[in-house]
Order: sequence, then C-alpha cells, then structure tokens
Amino acid sequence: MSAQASGVRSKSAYLVAIVIILFFWQVAAWFLPDFLMPNVPAAFVRLWQELNSSEFYEGLANSMSRLGIGYGLALLFGIVLGLLGGTLNAVRSPLKAAIIILQSIPSIAWVPLFLILMGFGNLPIIVVVAIGAFFPTALSVMNATESVEKVHISAARVMGASRSQLLRRVYFPAVTPELITGAQLAFGNAWRALISAEMIVGFSAGLGRSLAYSGEIADMTGVMTNILVIAVLAAVIDQVILESIKHRLLRYQYL
Amino acid sequence: MELRFDRVAKTFGSLEVIKQFDNTIHSGEIVALVGPSGCGKSTLLHMVAGLQTPTSGSLSADAATIESPSPQRTLVFQEHALYPWLTLVDNVALALEFQNRPRAVAKSEARQWLSRVQLDGFEGYYPHQVSGGMRQRAALARAFIARPQVLLLDEPFGALDALTRMTLQSVLKELISEECPTVLLVTHDVDEALYLADRVLVFSQRPASVLKEVQLGHIPKTHDLSDFAAERREVLELLGIDAGSKAKNTNVEGVNL
Repeated sequence: MSAQASGVRSKSAYLVAIVIILFFWQVAAWFLPDFLMPNVPAAFVRLWQELNSSEFYEGLANSMSRLGIGYGLALLFGIVLGLLGGTLNAVRSPLKAAIIILQSIPSIAWVPLFLILMGFGNLPIIVVVAIGAFFPTALSVMNATESVEKVHISAARVMGASRSQLLRRVYFPAVTPELITGAQLAFGNAWRALISAEMIVGFSAGLGRSLAYSGEIADMTGVMTNILVIAVLAAVIDQVILESIKHRLLRYQYL
Repeated sequence: MELRFDRVAKTFGSLEVIKQFDNTIHSGEIVALVGPSGCGKSTLLHMVAGLQTPTSGSLSADAATIESPSPQRTLVFQEHALYPWLTLVDNVALALEFQNRPRAVAKSEARQWLSRVQLDGFEGYYPHQVSGGMRQRAALARAFIARPQVLLLDEPFGALDALTRMTLQSVLKELISEECPTVLLVTHDVDEALYLADRVLVFSQRPASVLKEVQLGHIPKTHDLSDFAAERREVLELLGIDAGSKAKNTNVEGVNL
C-alpha cells in the first residue's frame, strides 16, 4: 500500500523532472541559433530516424554487450572479494585500503594504460567499465559482511553449517540488501565509464562513439539526440530493470 | 548424551568470567542455570555448543572433548536468530539442509515440525510477519528437527510477555518429554527454571561459581508451583531477592517480587 503510493509519487517526480529539463533545453534553444542548440522537437525527430536505422542498433548492441560483460565481471569479483574480505580478517584491512586508494582514480584515467596494454578493441573498454563498477560493489559487500548479525552466524554454526554453506546460505543473503545498493551505485559508475571510454577509444560503433562523432562534425542535433539516448537508457536500466531485480530479491522486506 | 565439566574456567582478556565449574549433566537430565545478568551462564552454554573454548579445564560430551559445534548439540537463542530472508518453513528446513539432506525431504519434515509447534498455516510467512511467540515456536522446531542429543537454551523466552512465555514453556516441556535430549537452560525466570528443570544451579556474580544446587527431581510439574514454594524461596534468596524466608510460615502467595 505505502510502497505503491511511494512508487506513484516517485513516478510523478520523474515526470516533473523530465518536463523541467526539457523546458530548460527548449529555452536555451529559443535563445541560441539552431546550429548551436537544436529544438527539443528536432532532437525527437532525429531520435525517431535513428530508431529506424540499423546503425543505431549496431551501436546499441555493442555498448550493451561491453556494459554487460564489464558490469557482470565487476559484480562477480566484487561479491567474491567482498565476502572474502568481510570474513577473513587478514584480507580485510589491506583490501579496504587498496579499494579506497584505487577508487579515487577516475575510471577513464586507466584508458591510455589499457589501450596500449591490450590493444585497440573492445577489451580496454570492458576492463575500464569493470574497474568503475568493481569498487562500490566490493566495498558494499565487505562492509555488509562485517556487520552480519553474530547470532545468525552462531545459529548456522550450531546447526552444523560448513564454511561454504555459511557463505552461500547466511552471508550472501544477509548482505544482499547492501549489495543491491552497491550494485546500483556501481551501475552509475559503469555507465559513465562506458560512455567516456567509448568516446576516447572510438573503437567500432557505440553510444559514446556516436556522440563523439556528432561532436566532431559539429552536428548539434546529433549530440543532443545521443545525450538523450544515454540519459534515457541509464534511467530505464536503473529504475526499471535494477529496481525490479531488487524487489524480487528483497521480496521479504516488502511484505 | 552426558556432559562433563572438569574445572572449566573462562577469561576474556583480564576479565574472569567463570572461575571453576565442575559438574556432570546426566543423559536426559534437564538442568537450569540461574544467576545474575552477565555472570557467565551464557558463556558456559556457548562452550557446550562449541562456539567458545574454555581457557582451562576440560569439557566433554560422552567422554569426547568438545572442540567445535555439532548438530548433536544445538542452541536456541533469545530472539532474532531466525533468518529474516527465509520463510518459517525454510528456516526450519535449513537445519536439515546444512546436514546435506535433500531439500524436498528437509521441507516436508520442516512442515511436520511446524505442525508440532502449532504453526500450521504459517509455513510461508516471514519471521517479521508473525509474533515473537510464533518466532520462538519456529526456533524450537528448528532446534528439534535435527534430533539433537543436547539441547541448549539461552534465555529462549526472555523477550516474550508472561502469558506467551508460559505457553511456550509448556510446548517446550512437551517436546523435551517426547524427544528426551539432555537439556541445559539458561534463564532469568526462576519459575521457568522450577517448572522445566530436574535440577537448578544457582550462580554467583561474575566470576561465576555455583552457590547452590537445588534438586527438584524428574517429576511431572504444572505451572502451579505451590509444591515448590520452599525451593523457590531458596533460589530467590540466593539471588538476593527478599522472598520472606525469615518470616515463619510464609506461603507462596506471600512472595514479593
């Protein structure tokens, strides 16, 4: 009931926010010449054309597979290392310190290194995405693992749980709420890393590549259309896909 | 399963929690440990469970030294020990799944045990959706499903209201008489100790030592403990509560708590 009401409220909040953003864009378009700032309707017309072209879908598929692989790897390593770090005292402090040092480096700062190390291709982009998403995932899982209720661990031990059962059946579900928060944060990082890396690396089609190219040929309608696509996709992935996974995994909290 | 404590002592750093504890708990015996808060009773229980080890002395179950937890010796906690992400039936089934029993078998046995603690119809509920009393019923089912030979209870009903507590004590008593485990019960509730136990050990302030053993015998008891007024008075006096034992002929109604 209250969850439903707050869902409706957050949906209407999104609607209001979108209207305000588009309004400011349109105001800017009224004052600036068309070649500097296109009208909102012009961008939507271009978007419609894009949606009917095969190149758009090629770029979309490339970007999504880079995101999927990079983000997936980050979640996997983040969960495993986070659980290990949270349960093994010897690993915890050094791992946490390393994460705190490394996560302050912007993900795209790694691009030159990996571009030369791994060569021009998909791999450096995927690795940069994975790095961006790994830190918040690992940190949230590690912090949550440390604060798992002692009685939940003791209860499993007196029931004869093995070490791997303890990890899978107690620690993992116990850290899931924080893991999901961390994973949503990680998605934001992964998305920003993906678009920036694609812009810099410029390997084959992709959302970031397409945006950078529009800029290079001073096609401002193309620039605004690409930004629109990037914003809408991020909101859909986060608010629709990740939120529904969250509700499914944490079903017990919403009853 | 017989539990033997041989000069068991426990210190945490410089804090001496248990001075020296010698006792033998016979197989099938029900022993209650009462004493002031923080006196180390729970530590004793955790050592029997294998969650902690004695600093010195030895502790054995059927002559085998206790070194680690075992499903043969299970512990019921005060509260919040059920997993919030599992339904009641999954919580209870988990005890068998940890022993690598197939999920379907574990679940069907869990249903039977939930029914034995009168939780039919609540199998699919999550712990936060049911009352504290129902959670502890499920906790009892989870403890008994593994057929433990030693049942350790750490203030199992301490967080419940008085009426619910008495109901749960009856449920527990019935389960114990059917399954016959050796029972160690830590409680603050003197009446709970008298109602459930064959023998009550009264502990001193920390570092804990036994002030007195009160024998009650393995006899049927009801919640009307008027036959045990003398024992009740004695235990309360030992705990420093004025139970009027100096006044002659004080009956149980005269007890002031």
